[in-house]
Amino acid sequence: MTEETEKCISCGVTLAGKGWVRFPCPECGTIISRCARCRKQSNSYTCKRCGFTGP
Amino acid sequence: MEEDAIETTVEEHNMLVPIDEYLAAGIHIGTQQKTSSMKDYIYRVRTDGLYVLDVQATDLRIKQAAKFLARYDPSNILVISARQYGQRPASMFAKSVRAKAIVGRFIPNTLTNPMFSEYLEPDVLMVTDPNGDGQAVNEAIDVGIPVVALCDTNNLTSNVDLVIPTNNKGRKALTLIYWLLAREVLRHRNEEDRFRYTVSDFEMEF
Repeated sequence: MTEETEKCISCGVTLAGKGWVRFPCPECGTIISRCARCRKQSNSYTCKRCGFTGP
Repeated sequence: MEEDAIETTVEEHNMLVPIDEYLAAGIHIGTQQKTSSMKDYIYRVRTDGLYVLDVQATDLRIKQAAKFLARYDPSNILVISARQYGQRPASMFAKSVRAKAIVGRFIPNTLTNPMFSEYLEPDVLMVTDPNGDGQAVNEAIDVGIPVVALCDTNNLTSNVDLVIPTNNKGRKALTLIYWLLAREVLRHRNEEDRFRYTVSDFEMEF
C-alpha cells in the first residue's frame, strides 16, 4: 500500500505541483530531484552517490 | 620552487585548454557586482573593483556540463541566446551537437503553448544569461525541465540547476565556452571525429 514518493534532495519535501525538476547528476548520472522552492532560492544540493554539489 | 612549477604543469594538463587561452579569451573577467549565489566561484577582487572568476572552477564545470548534456538526446537540448555575442556560438554549438537553438528574441509560449506553430518540448535548457534569457527560464520552470546556465559574477542562480561560472558578456569568452562545450559533449558521445570546427568558426563576426 505504501507508495514511493519522490523527495527534494536539498530539503526533503515531497514533490508536488509544478516547478520541481528531476535530472541526472552531472558526475555520476544518479537521479536528482529538486523542489520549486529550493530551485528558486538556489539552495545547494549534493549527490548522495558521488558528492557532486550544485548548482 | 620547482615543485610549484611541476604542480602547475600537472594542473594545466588536466585542463581542457591551456590556462593562457582561458585568460586570453577573458573567461575569468567578471563584473563590478557580485551576488551571493556566485561568491563560491569568485577567485579575487581587483583593485578597480572587478571580480575575477576562478578559471579552474569554470574548467571543471565545463567538463561536468558536457557530461550532463551528453546524457540527453541531442534533439531534446535547447540552447538560448538573446545576447548578440552569444548568438553565433550558440547556433554553432547546436549545429555541432545536433541540438536546437533559439537566438535573438525568444517568443513567449515557445515551451508552454502546444497550439503555437514553433512549439518545442526540450528535455534540457541551456541559457547564455539567466537574466537576459529570463523568459525561457520561466517557461522551463513551468514545464519542469533542468536549466544549465552560463553565469557571470552579477547573476542570480535562481531556478538554475547547473551553473557554469564564466564571463557571459565577452565575444571571445562566449566563443571559447561554447566551442569547448561542443567538443566535450561530442567526446562524451564518442563522436569527437565529427568535430572539425576551430574556435574562430564559433566567433560572432562584426
